[in-house]
Amino acid sequence: MREIVTIQAGGFANFVGSHFWNFQDELLGLAENAQADSVFKDQCIDMDVLYRTGETQQGFDTYTPRLLSIDFQGSLGFMSSRGTLYNENQNVPSNVITWAGDVSTTVAEPQKKNLFIKSLYEEEQENLHTGNSMDNGKNEDETDICDKDIVDNLDGTVQYWTDYSKVHYHPKSLYEIKGLWIDNEEFNNYGIGRDAYSSGRGEEICERLRFFIEECDHIQGIQYVVDDSGGFSGVAAEFLEAMADEYTNIPVLLYTVRNPTSDTYIGSRKQTISHHIQDAVSFSRLSSFCKLIVPLGSPSFSRNSRYLCIKDEKPYYSSAVYASALHSVTLPFRKKLLGPTADSRYESGYLSVHETIQMLAGQSRQNKVSILDVAMPAPSLTGKEAGKYLLRNMQTLTPETATDSEDLQATETITLHGVLGSGGRHALVAEANDAIQAAYENASPKFSHVSVARCPLPIPLPFPSIFSNLVGQHGELLSATSSSSSKGSLDVHSIPMATRLRSSSAILPFLETRLRNFRRFGVERGALGKELLRTWGFEKDDLEDVEEVLHKMVTTLVPESQISSDSE
Amino acid sequence: MSIRVLNPNAEVLNKSAALHMNINAAKGLQDVLKSNLGPKGTIKMLVGGSGDIKLTKDGNTLLKEMQIQNPTAIMIARTAVAQDDISGDGTTSTVIFIGELMKQSERYIDEGMHPRLLVDGFEIAKKATLQFLEKFKTPVVMGNEPDREILKMVARTTLRTKLYEALADQLTDIVVNAVLCIRKPEEAVDLFMVEIMHMRHKFDVDTRLVEGLVLDHGSRHPDMKRRAENCYMLTCNVSLEYEKSEINAGFFYSNAEQREAMVAAERRSVDERVKKIIELKNKVCAGGDSNFVVINQKGIDPPSLDLLARAGIIALRRAKRRNMERLILACGGDAVNSVDDLTPDSLGWAGLVYEHVLGEEKYTFVENVKNPHSCTILIKGPNDHTIAQIKDAVRDGLRAVKNTLEDESVVLGAGAFEVAARQHLLNDVKKTVKGRAQLGVEAFANALLVVPKTLAENSGLDTQDVIISLTGEHDKGNVVGLNQHTGEPIDPQMEGIFDNYSVKRQIINSGPVITSQLLLVDEVIRAGRNMRKPT
Repeated sequence: MREIVTIQAGGFANFVGSHFWNFQDELLGLAENAQADSVFKDQCIDMDVLYRTGETQQGFDTYTPRLLSIDFQGSLGFMSSRGTLYNENQNVPSNVITWAGDVSTTVAEPQKKNLFIKSLYEEEQENLHTGNSMDNGKNEDETDICDKDIVDNLDGTVQYWTDYSKVHYHPKSLYEIKGLWIDNEEFNNYGIGRDAYSSGRGEEICERLRFFIEECDHIQGIQYVVDDSGGFSGVAAEFLEAMADEYTNIPVLLYTVRNPTSDTYIGSRKQTISHHIQDAVSFSRLSSFCKLIVPLGSPSFSRNSRYLCIKDEKPYYSSAVYASALHSVTLPFRKKLLGPTADSRYESGYLSVHETIQMLAGQSRQNKVSILDVAMPAPSLTGKEAGKYLLRNMQTLTPETATDSEDLQATETITLHGVLGSGGRHALVAEANDAIQAAYENASPKFSHVSVARCPLPIPLPFPSIFSNLVGQHGELLSATSSSSSKGSLDVHSIPMATRLRSSSAILPFLETRLRNFRRFGVERGALGKELLRTWGFEKDDLEDVEEVLHKMVTTLVPESQISSDSE
Repeated sequence: MSIRVLNPNAEVLNKSAALHMNINAAKGLQDVLKSNLGPKGTIKMLVGGSGDIKLTKDGNTLLKEMQIQNPTAIMIARTAVAQDDISGDGTTSTVIFIGELMKQSERYIDEGMHPRLLVDGFEIAKKATLQFLEKFKTPVVMGNEPDREILKMVARTTLRTKLYEALADQLTDIVVNAVLCIRKPEEAVDLFMVEIMHMRHKFDVDTRLVEGLVLDHGSRHPDMKRRAENCYMLTCNVSLEYEKSEINAGFFYSNAEQREAMVAAERRSVDERVKKIIELKNKVCAGGDSNFVVINQKGIDPPSLDLLARAGIIALRRAKRRNMERLILACGGDAVNSVDDLTPDSLGWAGLVYEHVLGEEKYTFVENVKNPHSCTILIKGPNDHTIAQIKDAVRDGLRAVKNTLEDESVVLGAGAFEVAARQHLLNDVKKTVKGRAQLGVEAFANALLVVPKTLAENSGLDTQDVIISLTGEHDKGNVVGLNQHTGEPIDPQMEGIFDNYSVKRQIINSGPVITSQLLLVDEVIRAGRNMRKPT
């Protein structure tokens, strides 16, 4: 077993995570569903990598994500922090057994369940009656009548990430930070997050993680999704440091995500400075303790995509794209080792988190920062220029990257899944490799690895309607416009995906901005943010550390010729 | 007003409005927490929007659960929470004392007295009360053999305000024994060495003290014993799992054989480490009926577990860091960081090690240890909110015992101190004060009575009657507390009702400080982004 433990810290990270786990749940359901397409049924993906088996005290078997989610108190909406599976008694008890005297009861108004959640519960009740409590798969025939209503309802009502989650979580998975309420506007910077972690909460968070790690026989890595736009960056960085100390040999693959609207907010000058310092500090601290960091959250992504129409102001929409990309990236980590029966023409093998990190960050230069690109949906590999077309269709999810950089030392790993090759069948491994190689001709990166899987990305019912009318039912790209509105899970059932993690000097603008801003507002004589940093608890040494980390990352990537010309 | 010039949106409350806002907030907070106080108080059950239940009789917990918006209330709540951080108890008392000080002040201020004069009076009264406390406290000697009875009485007094009597009395013994177990002469008591574990199981009365340790995980191999006696305990921090080394980047081998060779070599070095442990086991366990238990902070992978199981060793992986320290304190021996340091001397000993399984949860009990300096309080309860409430109570109990050991004195409870201090202030101190500051002393003295008054109120007694009979009895020269059942005066010493000296001291200290600050507020200005509605 090569387990992965997933950690989601902060509001947007949990929005992303909720979609991510919906995909997994959908895959589990499709594998059991007799009517589903056969590509979902070959057992090439090992779900046990992300899921754990357990048992409730009543003796029911459970299968839940190996997940630790950290969020505000009250961020779970209707869902209890004990999850939905292990609750033996939902009713408010009438008496208190620990106290003989008076009891005063204050009952908050119950959080409303939306149509989708209600239908899930009803379905579950039916399943319980037929004695089949573990069937996660949704039976499409039964619920077809109100599917449209559910989708419309979700579109308007999603407020918490639990509102569109169809997954059962383990009681230890959902950690609410006690005393930090969801409407807390002041929880918006690194310093306050760090304090929140150190004031007694850290230990419990570590405890929760230990629970999941202890039961792993051979953990291959930790997948860590962090909303770094506010105080959670501080919580996450402190937690990460504790993790790096306790589990030295477990590689951490970190994604920073943020709500696209958090960047566009224009406030006073003071807020702008605080914002810049926040970005620099949280990036520097987070990158110090992980093996690979992938910054996500490009504000221009939604504007540039032809096939997707995303309303940035809704985290329910924007998080769906990141979740899809994350799903694709994790696929190679979850491949079963190819047995003799597997068809190796269509599926390429397993790649561990460790190997991926070695490929991207462990080559001749130690560049920890990677860029994530995605083609969603991916075009099919047909025609002469197929590879080129595919690469051209890839858009980066990482902010502030250079588009024209040529980097001979770049390395990358590409995952294609569900992509069709010539003749309408699934693309062959060899075909994909050739297409990519051909696309690079002369300016190829130093190293390029391609992973191929047949299983496309399934679109679960609660997936938002983000596809444009150029996307077909199986994610094929249409040229003619059939209707004008955007499409959701009712019209698009699955899509092929292509993602690429690349380690390239194209990330330089991102790094340089952070270094420059940090120097300008935090380090230079009379810098305007010095006082702010002091209130965050940063001493002179800490500032130097932050700067040093950023500086080092920049110098690793600047081509040697440039460095030598600087020194002359 | 100049602020208007700077920011036309600013909302300004003038002097008397500002003062009344503060007083009302303090009174409001007092009203919320008042019913908590004492063994006859009301327990609060909070049911959240998602159905999560929170059960508490602890002012501190309640304050944290409430989303307080009013800025004055936030200030008071912070003081009270700080009180809990410092001394472990007295949150409710602090809040109601502050509320009462504000209430008393209101009367005088409405009559036209300047807050400054009241504050001066408070300062004098505070000093006098603290001096009085020094005289009033009951010293207890905590030598090598602490007086178990007095510790029990203090713990019982605290616990009975949180839990029903039978359970409180049961826990009293547990917390006293726990603290005495970890106490070392000449060292401060480190309550971290008492592990508090819980099991969702059966009834609350099953809560017990384990002299030893309870770990919340078990062995991960089906063939390992579930129960073993006479165990050598190896506490170590050694990786017993196959890891890809950083240098040999796992991906670029020139051929499959090379890769295989590399894997085999790395596997071998793990096996070597396991074998060294097995060697030690064979050495110490030779011929006897003793067993060997490994508790490792790092991971142990299935092949290693297999080797250990075949050698008859019980092995646990990924132990909590803090438990490593506790294990050493409980069982003896040393924590081993490298297999090269393995010696028989580094081993600890436990009479009994066994595993308990509840659904998917496993617990490992390490018991019958020789000389425990660490122990575990195992709380059992039928559901989470019950467990959480017992846990809070146990923490308070532990703190109360620790405080007593450190204070080397206790204070008579049941309102006895408050009644006595009030009479002292009115009869002796007030005379020595010149001018209108006298009124401040008077206000302070009367505010102290809020504790016996609230106790009486919560017991359904008439507060006036109670206060009259208590002060009357006191003036006859007796130390009197309140009998919660009858409202009659009692001698708390006879009843065994004792409070912590440091808690009382802290309340007397911090209450007037925050009250003075609030009373001296001239203007309240609301400006900026976070304009909040007054509540």
